[in-house]
Amino acid sequence: MEELKFVGHPAVRIDGKEKVTGAAVYTDDLEFGPDLLYAEIVEGPHAHAMIRAIDASEAMKVPGVICVVTGKDFPYNFGLYMKDRFIFAQDRVRFFGEQIAAVVARTPQAAKKAARLVQVNYSPLPKVVSPLEALREGADLIHPDLKHYEHVPWFFPKPDTNIAHHRKVRKGNVEQGFAEADYILEDTYEVPRYAHCAIEYHAAVAKYDHSGRLTVWASSQSPHTQRNLFAIALAPLGIRHNDVRVIAPHVGGGFGSKAGVTMEIIAAAIATKVKGHPVKVLWNREREFYNTYQRLGVVAKLKIGVKSDGRITALHHSLFWDAGAYVEYGANVVNAVGLSAIGPYRVDNASIDSYCIYTNLPPGGPYRGFGYSEFLFGLESHMERMAKHLGIDPVEMRRRNAIRAGDITAYGAKMNPNGLHQAIDAVAKEIKWHETPSPSGPDMAIGKGFSLFWKAPAMPPNTSSSCFLKFNEDASINLLVSGMDLGQGFLTVMAQIAAEILSVPISKIRTENPDTDRNPYEWQTVASHVTWGCGNAVKRAALDAREQIFSLAARTHDVPKDLLYLEDEVVKCKRRPGFALPLKDFVIHGIQMEDGTFKGGPIMGRGVFMPEYASTKADPETSQGGHPNVHYTVGAAAAIIEIDKQTGRVQVKKVVEAVDCGKAINPSLVKGQITGGILQGISTVLYEEMKFDHRGKMLNPNFTDYKIPTALDIPDEVIPLIIEVPEPDGPYGARGMGEHTMLPVAPMIANAIEDALGIRMKSMPITAEKICLAMTGLKKQQEK
Amino acid sequence: MKKISFTLNGELRQVDVAPNEILLEVLRYKIGVKSPKCGCDTGDCGACTVILNGKAVRSCLIFAIEINGQEIVTLEGLSKDGLTPLQKALLDRNAFQCGYCAPGMILSATCLMSGNPHPSEEEIKESIAGNLCRCTGYQPVIDAISEVTKKH
Amino acid sequence: MAIPFEFGYEKPATIADALHLLDKWGRNARILAGGTDLANELKQGFRVPELLVDIKGLDALEKIKVLDDALHIGALVTFDMVRNSQLVRDHAYILYEAAGLVASSGVRNRATVVGNICSAVACMDSAAPLLVHDAVVHTASLEGEREVPVQDWFVDNRKTLVGEKEMVSHVSIPLPKIKHAGAYQKMMRYTGEDLAAANVGVLLMEDGACRVAFGSVGPIPRRSPEIELFFEKNGVNARHIDQAKDMIGGIISPITDVRATKEYRMHMTKVMFVRAMHAAVERLKKQKI
Repeated sequence: MEELKFVGHPAVRIDGKEKVTGAAVYTDDLEFGPDLLYAEIVEGPHAHAMIRAIDASEAMKVPGVICVVTGKDFPYNFGLYMKDRFIFAQDRVRFFGEQIAAVVARTPQAAKKAARLVQVNYSPLPKVVSPLEALREGADLIHPDLKHYEHVPWFFPKPDTNIAHHRKVRKGNVEQGFAEADYILEDTYEVPRYAHCAIEYHAAVAKYDHSGRLTVWASSQSPHTQRNLFAIALAPLGIRHNDVRVIAPHVGGGFGSKAGVTMEIIAAAIATKVKGHPVKVLWNREREFYNTYQRLGVVAKLKIGVKSDGRITALHHSLFWDAGAYVEYGANVVNAVGLSAIGPYRVDNASIDSYCIYTNLPPGGPYRGFGYSEFLFGLESHMERMAKHLGIDPVEMRRRNAIRAGDITAYGAKMNPNGLHQAIDAVAKEIKWHETPSPSGPDMAIGKGFSLFWKAPAMPPNTSSSCFLKFNEDASINLLVSGMDLGQGFLTVMAQIAAEILSVPISKIRTENPDTDRNPYEWQTVASHVTWGCGNAVKRAALDAREQIFSLAARTHDVPKDLLYLEDEVVKCKRRPGFALPLKDFVIHGIQMEDGTFKGGPIMGRGVFMPEYASTKADPETSQGGHPNVHYTVGAAAAIIEIDKQTGRVQVKKVVEAVDCGKAINPSLVKGQITGGILQGISTVLYEEMKFDHRGKMLNPNFTDYKIPTALDIPDEVIPLIIEVPEPDGPYGARGMGEHTMLPVAPMIANAIEDALGIRMKSMPITAEKICLAMTGLKKQQEK
Repeated sequence: MKKISFTLNGELRQVDVAPNEILLEVLRYKIGVKSPKCGCDTGDCGACTVILNGKAVRSCLIFAIEINGQEIVTLEGLSKDGLTPLQKALLDRNAFQCGYCAPGMILSATCLMSGNPHPSEEEIKESIAGNLCRCTGYQPVIDAISEVTKKH
Repeated sequence: MAIPFEFGYEKPATIADALHLLDKWGRNARILAGGTDLANELKQGFRVPELLVDIKGLDALEKIKVLDDALHIGALVTFDMVRNSQLVRDHAYILYEAAGLVASSGVRNRATVVGNICSAVACMDSAAPLLVHDAVVHTASLEGEREVPVQDWFVDNRKTLVGEKEMVSHVSIPLPKIKHAGAYQKMMRYTGEDLAAANVGVLLMEDGACRVAFGSVGPIPRRSPEIELFFEKNGVNARHIDQAKDMIGGIISPITDVRATKEYRMHMTKVMFVRAMHAAVERLKKQKI
């Protein structure tokens, strides 16, 4: 195999210097001059209510106030997969804190002051705050108009209920599978809502100028999708796609929260009412918690049957998702899990029912892991419990069932090549699975836990990525793509791929976050798909440019094209050692011929990628027949934890995680994803907990009481392991791995807790308090 | 409005502020120094960290009017003569991801190192424990600080 | 971020000037020292003052010193200064210990001990150490100075005995005349920065006397005369510590809130009490003076 010079190397990130010097510009760092207006949101203080009247007359009296806008100004609905969301609440409020109106003013102070003076008259309605409650006969309907909403063809809403989508999977003969089982375990697992907690708030500035041009600067994972949704929602104003321009500066963390469209559309809409002025909408920490997206909560009922040797004979998984007030994006989480809730196992007989249920809580939506963390908590807890019941080593139990390439997924497609078995072995070896570490003191208990994971990108089958590659005079390159660097290192990886093909060093490749006017189309930076999808587009663009270079060299120098190659920015020939055409001599100005004429011209590559084999066309009753997921990324992880038996406090001593990323285009960045993802996972299982009061109001929308880890709360040791079983259609074999790193953590910790204390925790989070109270409860039972 | 003067990154600056203006907003929106970020506005996240008279503080919890006659350093001031060894180590290790917490984190660590050139790992963790990062898991940042403080 | 209320600002150069301002503005003035609580309060619009009186010009209040057999901690002394004070380590180690657990270094560099007991939020870290040390709060106004035992200082959550026209100049901690050792325990949701869901301070004297204070398990932090009396009668040993632990259930009445349930608070207070007592016993053994 040819030696790779750039791909596979731990290159320094190309945005690194900007970030360590404070030069990196985020949305709220942009300057808009003295004409900038500020909008402040008026929030509804009810989880479910009808809006009777809005009186803004007092607010309008505050000096500096320009206007107050409400739902009546924007009677448009929008949404990514289902149009159930509104720019401002129309006649109905569906969650506590929903945007009712906005005050636009010359200063943030005036806007804030006036927003407090907007009077809104509500008639409260009965509210529904849990998914099981929402399913009850006679439950109040949160979206009475559900039957009229537009949605993608692979969603199946149930009109006149609170079920926005039901993904139903049937494979094999489940009844027979359970009949053949020697042991069946059935239980319910609960995973509550979580918040993304990117440190940068959502921010958007929009300007609708007098020529009809709408420009939006936003902290975004999805510039093109935002352009698309803005253009569709605002089409009644005569706005077309080419009138809308979205510019995305650096993003201070996304984790799914800045995907699709949430608050950005508020800025876009308001701008149309204050033509000619830029208007800024800056979220705050509280709203980050309750008015963007939250990770969906779920109640998962799981039943698995196994033979006495541990082989799975049948699986039934019913998932009841608390999807919140609007599910335009969150319903696809439900869908994705429905397709994949067998986990990374070979299961011949499976039935899955994944229900997307409206509740009067904040909208659920994409969050790193897209539902997989949630169902894996139950599934991987279940596997451990069944192994222990059967007296089989939990790692061995997983080996016996772990899926292999060519096995059939729940929806009937073939599993892609993968290194799941290698990952299991590598993790078991590194964690020293068969050794029992001893606790550090008499009050301490020590335990080990294991977990597998898998995840596929959840995206429409026609999701695409594209790239323009432009050479400059000195053979430096501008690489134009529209994926977002959210911190994962996307831009660096794209530069590495282009560098590899064109032999141009990474330092000479400039690739930046996009402007939808200048950069070609990208669906969104979600689903851990851009290294793979956009990487393919970049590779194709670079190959296209190389083809132009070789063609030009061949026709101007009379050398066979197929003998040409690139090395250190020079075109060389395999048979003519002295042949050397430096790129900088011709990539813009062309090559001069003996007669003085020039041939060629600027070299510009283009590349497009769409997975043309994907399809969501399937039988809605079984989900068989399509190819909804392009591939799965798999892996394994294990942890050693120590628990203070008096306080319930858990210290994670060591975590090992192996992920099969196909090809680590930048191993340093892959390891960074593993280290960061593990801590985010630890945080969801041990620390983070959203609390709501009886009104459906979130009680802890702040870092004071919603605890994300500090530098003092990290594992003692993290060992990232990289497995590389190439993805046939990935660039250099790469597939995504960014979200995956947090997937195994919650069940792995729950398994370790059981190993240490003999207590099985079936609902998250597993805080010190819950462990401690469970222990004392257990003590009481033993005393009886 | 009151005119205040203070030293910002070595330069004497004057600016008119009202008593209800917070230092972070004055730095960002009146003066145009953008490396201090807002991530919570309650003193919990540390993204707004600046160095005031040699100590790392939360600029979101300080009234701008309080800094009359004081000395402030932001990350812009630190990078004037090229990267510091800490910045270089962070860069080489790809220690940051989204980078939003970086200015505050770097200033907190810089303060630690100025008073304690060879801190223990616990002291390093403690010094940046008030700077929340959601991306990195902190370890690469801790490793970079360790590397720089173990040298020499 | 913006504070949508307007107010004035004065930075008096002398204590007398400060007291004149307080006398004139009364409850419409707020004292600004570290400002870490005040800035948050004003952003939320809880209590909107007409004037901020910045006392950071009063250098005399920025001192930690020993005077008349007491350790004086001025109103401008930050938790960071406490952490770096040998005097505090020598004479009130438990305050030093508690100071290290206040928020994060960026806040400790600004937040003051006196500000902490003036904000008087139930979860404050300085109360238990000051209570077990029988500290005294010194206030000043144009009408004169007052000394209030810290045991009487707290009236309710966020409410103290400070008068409308008064300011706290310092707190004083009487220097124990005999060998002593204290320990502070704080219930946190993780190792990183957190507000105390409960805290315990103990101070053990060479003569067997023991002082115990509980915080964040009621509207105000309090000493426990019950346990102190028990130790006075029976002496401190492992068995008695265990017995005293069982008394806690009848002494404190924690509540359930967003940080913890009352059951866990109760349990943890007992665990922390035992751990603090054992730590203090060990420390006392190692004390030289």
